[in-house]
Amino acid sequence: MYLNIDAQKEMTYDAIVVGSGISGGWAAKELTERGLRVLCLERGRDIKHIEGYETAMKAPWELPHRGRPDNMAAEEYWAGMRTGYTVNEEHRYLFENDSKNPYIETRPFDWIRAYHTGGRSLLWGRQSYRFNEEDFMANAKEGIATDWPIRYKDIAPWYDYAERFAGISGSKDGLSVLPDGQFQPAMELNCLEKHVKSEMMRKMGRTLTIGRVAHLTKPQSIHTALGRAACQYRNMCMRGCPYGAYFSTQAATLPAAMKTKRLTLANNKIVSEVLYDEKKGRATGVRTIDQNTMEVKDYFAKIIFLNASAIPSASILLNSKSSRFPNGLGNDSDQVGRNIMDHHLGVGASGEFEGFEDQYYFGRRANGVYIPRYRNWGNDKRDYVRGFGYQGGASRSGWGRGVGMEGFGASFKEEMSQVGKWSMGIGGFGEVLPNEKNRFTLHPTKKDKWGMPIVVFDAAYGENERKMRVDMRNDAAEMLEAAGLKNVQSYDDTSKNLGIGIHEMGTARMGKDPKTSVLNKNNQLHTVKNVFMTDGAFMTSASCVNPSLTYMAMTARASAFAVAELKKMNL
Amino acid sequence: MGGTLSAPTLMAFGGEAHVSQAMSADFSFNAAQRALVAEVAEHIIPRTTTPGAKEAGVGAFIELMLKDCYKAQEQQNFLDGLADLDERATKTHSKKFLETSPAEQVALLKMVEKETIELMRTANVQQVKVGDNVDKEVISSKKMKGTPFWRLAKELTLFGYFTSEQGATKALDYVPIPGRYDGCIPLKPGQKAYAL
Repeated sequence: MYLNIDAQKEMTYDAIVVGSGISGGWAAKELTERGLRVLCLERGRDIKHIEGYETAMKAPWELPHRGRPDNMAAEEYWAGMRTGYTVNEEHRYLFENDSKNPYIETRPFDWIRAYHTGGRSLLWGRQSYRFNEEDFMANAKEGIATDWPIRYKDIAPWYDYAERFAGISGSKDGLSVLPDGQFQPAMELNCLEKHVKSEMMRKMGRTLTIGRVAHLTKPQSIHTALGRAACQYRNMCMRGCPYGAYFSTQAATLPAAMKTKRLTLANNKIVSEVLYDEKKGRATGVRTIDQNTMEVKDYFAKIIFLNASAIPSASILLNSKSSRFPNGLGNDSDQVGRNIMDHHLGVGASGEFEGFEDQYYFGRRANGVYIPRYRNWGNDKRDYVRGFGYQGGASRSGWGRGVGMEGFGASFKEEMSQVGKWSMGIGGFGEVLPNEKNRFTLHPTKKDKWGMPIVVFDAAYGENERKMRVDMRNDAAEMLEAAGLKNVQSYDDTSKNLGIGIHEMGTARMGKDPKTSVLNKNNQLHTVKNVFMTDGAFMTSASCVNPSLTYMAMTARASAFAVAELKKMNL
Repeated sequence: MGGTLSAPTLMAFGGEAHVSQAMSADFSFNAAQRALVAEVAEHIIPRTTTPGAKEAGVGAFIELMLKDCYKAQEQQNFLDGLADLDERATKTHSKKFLETSPAEQVALLKMVEKETIELMRTANVQQVKVGDNVDKEVISSKKMKGTPFWRLAKELTLFGYFTSEQGATKALDYVPIPGRYDGCIPLKPGQKAYAL
């Protein structure tokens, strides 16, 4: 008897955070800094900051296939192959083997996963933009899905807070469509980008700006105190950054949480369900399966944050069945697992530029340009709703141009050693509408090697996205041509599926009404107030901007709320 | 990030070119093929004031890449292409390719290049953009099965050479840790392209 109580005590914390990626890391930091004893459960292995980045300092010739995926990898990482880059040799070790983590596609879904400490915070594109005021109102205005229970003013101070800590480099552009924030100094545009920027503004009145990216360009004491340094412009970010220059769990939130001495990080713990006490009407903890030993262990806490990313966090809810919640925890609305959103991309244009031949650049800027949304904005009205932005950049070509060229030998070699023509490309990132028919479910009988039901996707782009892509393609070519680029080629890769943006969102949406939404305005389950979700699952709509900064801000906001409620004895 | 075009890779779409191909993990060259590949690569990237393909180990790289990263069709195309070089040399000079003079070898390779370009033209191979940084070549004809020998040899030679230590550090400007970014600077006389 005594032993059991002792064991339970040992496994009891103030808070449990499930997942250690971008949002889980933020939850761990905020909750520990606000005085809670926190257990962070990570389903994958541990990857230590710096020493764990096994390929970070490798030269191209130290990679056997110089980065290209080999046939074996291509077969095992079958979903990853769809991105065209995640299976590359230099960073494959940070992505999941799809054959070992199968999923089912009733309709195809590109699901790109990273199960280890830091999750996809080690791999993200680092583009960091605020949602604007319209983004939080569009659903209500257009009668789509359900209204956000918050507005821009509710999140704005938390954007400030998240930007200062994460370190977002960018320029203040004074645009309502892309609200300014608390920025580190902006990275520079190159010659051709500056030219295109001024031509676009002069001829079309559209803005091009430098990408806002989670890289330190001028670290402040809040960053250096954690051991973070400025970006070295290697552009090898996806291998893990030995300088801690870009925001990741390892570089930023984990050391901050560890400083409090109130964080316990437990690796290899797959959370199978949230434990629910029917009498108390609240969650008491989580059940875990060790991914290596298969040991089943329960942990207990006053509050639980689900930050496993949109699909796994919602899977945990669906797998947490009780007589009160036969369809999964907090799922009275039947909205859990629905409304899967992402950003649609793979559409744009590129062209060559004649000129600036005596101009070059130095360093590899791990960032590009950004063209904020202008469609369906102000007086512009299209035959679809919402909009898109573009990301891209200009550079001078290298030896790759020689592959399709005629010629070989000494003079050809000499030419390939020289700097080639300028070219510039821009690719669209479009908003995907929430649609409750876009969903995943858990397979009734098929299970993975840990006995967890396999995820079944049934989701696809809709008519609004298809219509938008026509503009995304044509506008890209039009803008580049207006800026004087030649041989402009546009493209629309229709082979990609929902998920390819690696921005899964919406599987446990926020809303005002418990009948039509899963989470309330504080990211709490409407019906189980001590369970919070602050990863992509909570998103009620997607905007067209990259979502991670919004997860950071909302996680900090929900954490502050949760601790305040605990103090008031409301949880 | 934007603008840096990767080396185009020939991708087959539709028609016979799309048959699923078995992997041949046991692919390897014999000694004669190995010597021939090394020489062809050296013709593409010869030693000048900087090292050539041989010093950069391009032959061994091509063999490894064909074995690990390509499928049966491309492996076969490559072996057929090597055999074809000897056949051509025998026809015109009654010698094996490697026994002909350097000038004769260059002339033979120029012929192969010309024919390859013509084949790709008649097979209507079009380079199209399919992604922000991805070019693909679409084959809409059944005349061509997979990437032709010369095209593969050239791509793998350029790739193998410019990413080798010799090629990247001697023939290009290799800056592992730039430490800063200058967006707009004058191109210095003799400035080589960056290796990364």
